[in-house]
Amino acid sequence: MTATTSTPRPTTQLAPSVRPARPLVPARLDFAGVLAAEWRKLFSLRSTWWTLGLTVVLLTLMALGQAAAIADSLGSPEGAAVFADVHGAELVTGGYQFGMLTIAVLGALLITGEYSTGMIRSTFAAVPTRLPVLAAKALALSVLTVITTAVGFAAAYAATMPILSEHDLVPSLTDGTTWQIAGGATAFLVAAALFALGVGTLLRSTAGAVTVALTVLLLLPGILQFITLDWVQTLVEYLPLPAATAFVTVSEAFGGTGGFTPWQGAAVVAAWALVPMIAAAVVLRRRDA
Amino acid sequence: MIEAHDLTKRYGDKTAVHGISFTVRPGTVTGFLGPNGAGKSTTMRMIVGLDEPTSGRVTVNGKRYAEHRTPLREVGALLEAKAVHPGRSARAHLAVMAATHHISPKRVGEVIEMTGLSTVANKRVGGFSLGMGQRLGIASALLADPQTLILDEPVNGLDPDGVQWVRNLVRQLAAEGRTVFLSSHLMSEMAQTADHLLVIGKGRIITSGPVQEVIDGVLGTTVRVRSPQAADLAPLLQAAGGTITSPEPGALEVRGLTGELIGNTALDHHIALHELATQQASLEAAYMALTQDAVEYRSETAPPETSPEPIHSGASR
Repeated sequence: MTATTSTPRPTTQLAPSVRPARPLVPARLDFAGVLAAEWRKLFSLRSTWWTLGLTVVLLTLMALGQAAAIADSLGSPEGAAVFADVHGAELVTGGYQFGMLTIAVLGALLITGEYSTGMIRSTFAAVPTRLPVLAAKALALSVLTVITTAVGFAAAYAATMPILSEHDLVPSLTDGTTWQIAGGATAFLVAAALFALGVGTLLRSTAGAVTVALTVLLLLPGILQFITLDWVQTLVEYLPLPAATAFVTVSEAFGGTGGFTPWQGAAVVAAWALVPMIAAAVVLRRRDA
Repeated sequence: MIEAHDLTKRYGDKTAVHGISFTVRPGTVTGFLGPNGAGKSTTMRMIVGLDEPTSGRVTVNGKRYAEHRTPLREVGALLEAKAVHPGRSARAHLAVMAATHHISPKRVGEVIEMTGLSTVANKRVGGFSLGMGQRLGIASALLADPQTLILDEPVNGLDPDGVQWVRNLVRQLAAEGRTVFLSSHLMSEMAQTADHLLVIGKGRIITSGPVQEVIDGVLGTTVRVRSPQAADLAPLLQAAGGTITSPEPGALEVRGLTGELIGNTALDHHIALHELATQQASLEAAYMALTQDAVEYRSETAPPETSPEPIHSGASR
């Protein structure tokens, strides 16, 4: 059926192509603009500040707690034996397993918050090709995670300094291992954030995405380690957190003697971030918003 | 200019839009009229690429929406009130939208002024009334000064001042040569705002054309006649040029003839009349008549708002 509206009524008649006489509002869509928009989105929500603040607090307090506990153990001969090869940077970054939780929540909320509120329709109306939105979110989230983690580790460094110096465990900033551990833990948090963003894009639900992210990141490694079947243990090694120990820990006490080399561990962790992100990109293009 | 060709959208086994084709021209306000669930919102979402058509094609100014290099300049859309994160202020929301297109903060301020949001611009959207949400949606649509505006139920939740404001705004935008496409399920609202109507029901275009033509087409006076000899009268009236339907035995609905002529014809042939009533249908009645087969969610109890009686099937086209 074809329905065509006919000519305008006389009072409003104008040539169809006539533009208004006043100057156009300057406008141009590009990736820099999309990135700026995502950046603004992050900082115009209170939830961002809460999660980032909580991340810094967790990174600091958990490091402090762990350092205090280990310092205590070092007083006894048994403890001293267990923690003989511990590296100071492992203690400073010790809160990363907690920081990963809040960072993952932030990553999931970044997209599920848009789906749950309807904002996604405004977003995709402005950027109908959609993929730049996901790329900009991933980039903004990664940068923000790096900054937050750096702040958290710096605070943890300062907070644990008195305890670590007593045991001559203050990590040297000229020691390559220090930077491997700190950089590795930071990269792991970026991967956790991207994993949650990818899962969030696929599921579109905050509850669903947070549940999946926390299950994979935290619960599965904890629960499955009690099932001592060989194949289950192999599976556990390939989960993000156990795989990450290959590059964020160096001492036996912290599990740094797993099956993977640091680079293998990094590859496994990167896959956990990339696979959901690629799947999200494929789905995002075709799905109705 | 919006052009749809054989546009179809299915969700699972439910067809929301059924092969519709239409053109919305610049310089006019085109009303998209239909009951809830008729496919208006789905069609509008397809225009701006939020929903992918199952088949068919819709273009804005000659291209699919996503192919435009400056989408917000081509189309400003209000698709539903509060397609906005409630935790953000109105100004922050507009600033986010503006950032994608490098639109200046000055322009953000302008649309806030234009839509009367100045006093609440820094408040979080979560606390907004439906009317304020609509104003924010319209502000967002106007941000890049678009050539085409798509407004889905823009007066929903607005107070009478707000309704008047939207009416004037869309008329002015059309007068500037823009394409304005707005939907409503309220015939009376459309009659006051639109130049052209596109009436949709159950995913199909029912009728279209200039507003007055559509109304006249539906409202052509109907005369209700009751007579024990209705069967004899009907062919006589038909011969006189009337269109006859018989809703029940002994009753006729006549279109195209005046009550006077019908009465005289009956007298000439010695036919007794028990009732001869000219029906004055309201705009709403015309709309009901148009869409009565096309209402997706009909209330069982609510009688149609008509006076004095509903137009019967004789009025549908």
